[in-house]
Amino acid sequence: MSTKKHVFASILAITMALTTMTACGNSSNNGGTNQGNNSKPTNTTNTTNTTNTTTTAAKDTITALLPPVSGNFQDNFAQMEKEFNEQYPNLTLKIEPASWEDMTQKLDTQVNAGSPPDIAFIGSEGISKYVQQGMLMDITDTVTPEMLQDYDDAPIKYMKNGDGLYGFPGYMEVHALGGNKAFLEEAGIDWKNVQKNGWTYEEFREAIKKGVVKDGNNTSRYGFVFATAGVASKDYLGILIKSAGMPAAFDKDLKFAYTSQKYLGVLKAVRELIDDGSMPKELSSVDAGKRWNMFLTGQTMITGKGLATFENSANKNNEKIKANDGSAVQGSIEAEYIVLPVPSFLGEQPVSSTVVDGYVTFRGKKEPTAEHKENVVKAAYFLASGNVAATTNNDLFAAHITKSGRKAAESMTVNRNPDNVAAVEVLLSHAAPARPDIPVELGAKAIKLQDEVIIPKLQALLANEITPEAMFDAVKAAAIKTFGEDGIVKD
Amino acid sequence: MIQSVRPMKKRKIKGDGAWGYAFIAVALVVFAVFTAYPVASAFIISFQEYKPLGSTFIGFDNYTNTFSDALFWKSVVNTIVYTVLTVPVALFLSFAVAILILPLKKWLQTTFKAVYYLPAVASGVALSVVWLWIFDPMSSGIFNKLIGFFGISNQNWLGSSATAMFSLVFMSWLSSHGTSIIIYLAALLGIDGSYYEAAELDGASFLQKMWYIVIPCLKPTTLFLLVTGVIGSFQVFQNAYLMTGGGPDNATTMVGLLIFNNAFKYFEFGKAAAQSLILAVIIAGIAMVQFKFLGNDVEY
Repeated sequence: MSTKKHVFASILAITMALTTMTACGNSSNNGGTNQGNNSKPTNTTNTTNTTNTTTTAAKDTITALLPPVSGNFQDNFAQMEKEFNEQYPNLTLKIEPASWEDMTQKLDTQVNAGSPPDIAFIGSEGISKYVQQGMLMDITDTVTPEMLQDYDDAPIKYMKNGDGLYGFPGYMEVHALGGNKAFLEEAGIDWKNVQKNGWTYEEFREAIKKGVVKDGNNTSRYGFVFATAGVASKDYLGILIKSAGMPAAFDKDLKFAYTSQKYLGVLKAVRELIDDGSMPKELSSVDAGKRWNMFLTGQTMITGKGLATFENSANKNNEKIKANDGSAVQGSIEAEYIVLPVPSFLGEQPVSSTVVDGYVTFRGKKEPTAEHKENVVKAAYFLASGNVAATTNNDLFAAHITKSGRKAAESMTVNRNPDNVAAVEVLLSHAAPARPDIPVELGAKAIKLQDEVIIPKLQALLANEITPEAMFDAVKAAAIKTFGEDGIVKD
Repeated sequence: MIQSVRPMKKRKIKGDGAWGYAFIAVALVVFAVFTAYPVASAFIISFQEYKPLGSTFIGFDNYTNTFSDALFWKSVVNTIVYTVLTVPVALFLSFAVAILILPLKKWLQTTFKAVYYLPAVASGVALSVVWLWIFDPMSSGIFNKLIGFFGISNQNWLGSSATAMFSLVFMSWLSSHGTSIIIYLAALLGIDGSYYEAAELDGASFLQKMWYIVIPCLKPTTLFLLVTGVIGSFQVFQNAYLMTGGGPDNATTMVGLLIFNNAFKYFEFGKAAAQSLILAVIIAGIAMVQFKFLGNDVEY
């Protein structure tokens, strides 16, 4: 009896241990990893054919890790998979959903384990990081001319690094500001003129002063609130300096640009807007959610950063308020969202900061086969063009960047302020150009300098703990240490 | 001299001995796979520039870069400050609560233990959201409302270097003492009642009983909680990551957060592994000092 008990307990214990280890292992061929990297398609339906036809007929599965790009995006996954399979009967598109919060961590874990998905939706600024890891798949030799011709020139360049092309862009959005129409008019701001002709920092500074409303000693409404905490910490300065003659971290000679005196000029402006009382002194703790809440509840006239989709969000909240729907943001007021440009500094031409996100193509530890690469390109193009792109971009109020997307969107209706559409077109006309010429090592160093010096010092500047000059000196010292005396701009 | 060579006896593992090995084999395999192997891997990676497609051996570069990195030392200082401010207070609070719970009836003890343990069960992210609301920098924030009653203006709790570290420390003071309270309570219940009876016969006061009976009897428990508390505090990551992101101006960047950033933000796994091992050495050193000075007369 005793022996039986021992045997039974042992079996249980070993089973538990094996189960634990199995759960941590690579579960199956369909575990979200690059199947094609295992060198051969899972099966062939037409093995008697010659080599050329076998390529198209071979069965293959393409995996994609996709976040909720738009509100309805993830609800359409089943439909997307079905449509793709109808278009390419031998191919299966397997989409794994991820939240925006989990996306980077999930992807990074898979990348560093050497088994990323074939496709992931990420920002184009992340491309250099994965290129440096050697984990992106250059599709230059596989993409067809028809595919390339479908895209606008500016956004597709954002998916390049050096000579390589690493996927297709989903949308190109411009970083703008967003104003409350009623408050702008109350402050006497000719917003239509600003949308068309832009404004200088000095004009902007005076305008937001007029937007401030005081209630005794307290400020009940600020002229301008920009998110500077959390994930938005790098946005504020990054967006402003583009219109101060520094469209990228490196100039055309690949010298680090933020050591220019123009950078100091922008830092002084950042401090001035808070000292004027136009922005809250607690700005360093205002995150993206907080400032949007402040916009919807009438605590600020202008907010940033503004994306086209915010108009959609404001419209939806307005409808809820009208319908007396309890899910409207607590304390919110009806706010008509107006797209406004970022001001230009120091007499420089305005340059719009843009965000280009897209479907980036990855490879695993093993070299992908030509067949699999071709199939991944088909899937990425399917997601980033035509009907899928049109639906997603309309949901986001984002401009279409493919001919096929524009055509598919013709039959779709979007309730959007035409003035805002025109304003975004103006902003996109002077969008910051892509810089695939910046080497990945240099780009990686700039990102680290941004994270370890610029953002922490900016937080201190916003909290009035250091002066603009002190921040500038700290950034310059770190830049010299990182890039050398000859690697920085001196003026 | 001729040594007589005796044939080695084959030691057979029989009966309960065999079963014992079988049972510990499971734990040993789990330990080897999930603890020993990662530690050994981290040691190897710390001498490499890690890349998924093939790492490069770079000698001690990751260690020398870490030792010359001002941010690493700043994060070590921040971690020490955080530990010094949180661990002793946490021990005192846990001890005080356990003493207060001890005289209560069984069901009340259980209720309080459950209440104090609840934050340990709750998601750290959810707790952080609540604390972010409490530390809201605008006038709608709970703390700002509170200090507003005393005529003090809004404070940028998490956004100012003067208050950010204190805010994290305060958050630690008011949360997650459940485990320590339960351990202290178990230790308090383990003290023989005859000690108290003898002390009462001698006319000892409450404080005298605490000083001469309770505190010495709880010394092994206190040492255990102190060592584990310091280890936990040195590895603190979540609060800084979720509440301040290490800011402002790296005022709340702890070593754990720095290691995370190097590994998962910059993919510098080699440097992160080197920093992890340095942190392990620091923690081991502190634990040894604690045992040396506090563990001399502790019997287990």
